[in-house]
Amino acid sequence: MVALTILPDLWPMGPLALVTPRTVADRRQVAIAEPPTTDASAVLAPVVAHVRRPGWLRLRSLVRKEFIEIRRDRRTLALIVAVPIFLLVIFGYAAQFEVHHIATELVGNDSLPLRTALAEHGAFAVENGVAPNVAAAENDIRDGHVAAAVVVNREGRPTRVLIDGSNLLVAMTAERKLAALQQGSATPTPHVTVLYNPSLRSTIFMVPGLIGIIMTQVALVLTALGVVRERERGTIEQLMITPVTKLELMIGKTIPYLLIALCDLCVVLLVSWQIFGVPVRGSVLLLFGEAFLFLTATLGMGLLISTLARTQLQAMQMSVFVQLPQMLLSGIIFPLAAMPWSVRWLGYLLPLTYFASVARGVMLKGVGLSGLWPQTVALAVLGLVYVGLAVVRFRKTLD
Amino acid sequence: MIEILADRVVKTFGPTRALDRVDLAVPSGALWGVVGADSAGKTTLLRCIAGLLRVDAGRVLPGRAGQARLGYSQQGFHLYSDLTVEENVAFIGHLYGLSPAAVSAHADELLAFAGLSDRRSSLAGELSGGMQQKLTLVCSLLHHPPILLLDEPTTGVDPLSRLEFWDLVEKLHVAGSTILLASGYFDEVERCDHVVYLQRGRVLATGTPDDLRGAHSTLEAAFLEMTS
Repeated sequence: MVALTILPDLWPMGPLALVTPRTVADRRQVAIAEPPTTDASAVLAPVVAHVRRPGWLRLRSLVRKEFIEIRRDRRTLALIVAVPIFLLVIFGYAAQFEVHHIATELVGNDSLPLRTALAEHGAFAVENGVAPNVAAAENDIRDGHVAAAVVVNREGRPTRVLIDGSNLLVAMTAERKLAALQQGSATPTPHVTVLYNPSLRSTIFMVPGLIGIIMTQVALVLTALGVVRERERGTIEQLMITPVTKLELMIGKTIPYLLIALCDLCVVLLVSWQIFGVPVRGSVLLLFGEAFLFLTATLGMGLLISTLARTQLQAMQMSVFVQLPQMLLSGIIFPLAAMPWSVRWLGYLLPLTYFASVARGVMLKGVGLSGLWPQTVALAVLGLVYVGLAVVRFRKTLD
Repeated sequence: MIEILADRVVKTFGPTRALDRVDLAVPSGALWGVVGADSAGKTTLLRCIAGLLRVDAGRVLPGRAGQARLGYSQQGFHLYSDLTVEENVAFIGHLYGLSPAAVSAHADELLAFAGLSDRRSSLAGELSGGMQQKLTLVCSLLHHPPILLLDEPTTGVDPLSRLEFWDLVEKLHVAGSTILLASGYFDEVERCDHVVYLQRGRVLATGTPDDLRGAHSTLEAAFLEMTS
């Protein structure tokens, strides 16, 4: 009779169902596929044996179960294998503290010996043209066309050097290389002027980039999790039966995070200004406009992740997989120019690369839209691509 | 007039044939029940009929094109636990295009109908299983659909709540709704006008409860006889 009390739980019957001996016998056949028995000790004996298993066997079962789950979760497994390899390659190539090919121009006069000396030194890539005066050179540095300018007198000797201080590693390398170049030379040392960050403070260099990272955190991770959470909870099915379109659903899921990220931008700008003394020399409106484009592209990436991930854990892992390269390959810490093309191209696919450049331009140099249109176009194009891909993948049916 | 139709419907998931030439036709105002064991294909059938899944072959009504006339209550609780009853109702109502005034009016009427008026400020996640099912039903009724698809609405619900839920279903039936209900409980579908036995994606038998019961005392006994 013990078996009769256990078996109803094995069958999808409701508490109101009438349990008859005949149906119980049938259930036994279907549920446990064993010959009927009324011997309670025979039913309970294996259970008792399990309870007495030693601790290491239970531990082995726990470990084995974890491995089975990991093996069957293909996406997580792929990330476990891919992330270390990817990070090693990215760190190995991208983490270059030594900068090469610093874009440099001569100002006032041309000088072949000076060109040769700068080029042979390896760190400088001297532009073909010559800037007519210091003002023109400053404009070129402000707009990011060059990172250094060497004023040359009529005798062909350098008298002054202008360096873009908004990129710390570039500025520090340029200063060091110029000092090395000057060693042993009989000519007077040229006066070095570091623009936009005269004291070469790392805070001023880092803050504009960090603003991009903070907004990425909100836009990418929260968007990806928001959509996957709907799928995990099953609420997305309830939404899909309503007349809501997939475009409305996507826009509705992204607008809150867009607004939160823009609020974050306000807070971060205020804190940067008040605590770290990092100013916004250019137009705040332009910065917000560019941030809108940047966030659109990043939200698109978040939505794309949400279409690929099945669970919130997968979405989180994928977000980390996208975020780390953004930090390393976007030029926030290591200049893109210092990276080999084998990894540099990845940086050009990331919205943060362009926004970091925009943020430094607007905040530290006061650059206007005319000097930022390439980055603006790139952000708009990336936004269209990532949002477009997400829309295509975001299917309305459960198929 | 046939309001709900599955005509030779086939649906596969990889190598598994979840539905195999399933036929059913529910006339206007009828209450039909689909019953079978787990993985018989009940949920897949309702999802296909609701247009949430594309069928591989065959035809369904109302399908995606008729979703505006459809109220669909999926298996389990899938509303927002961290919203209140009232907020859930308002959210779903607005998605159906109802104005705030219309949502408010319908919500009062439907929450009273479901006995949830005094829980309108409670978080949905704090409701009992039976109340959550009633809330799901309320949300699926907000746009006054003439057709209702209810997927195992009383699974995991206590006996008293099941009886209360069935009272609501019968009231809707009397009011003229066309209802197709999937259930794993044979005693429940005894209350339907017409019952479909589903087994491994195929219609095993269909008829009124009396027809299907035949000489057996219960629908369950008749089903087990057929499948043994």
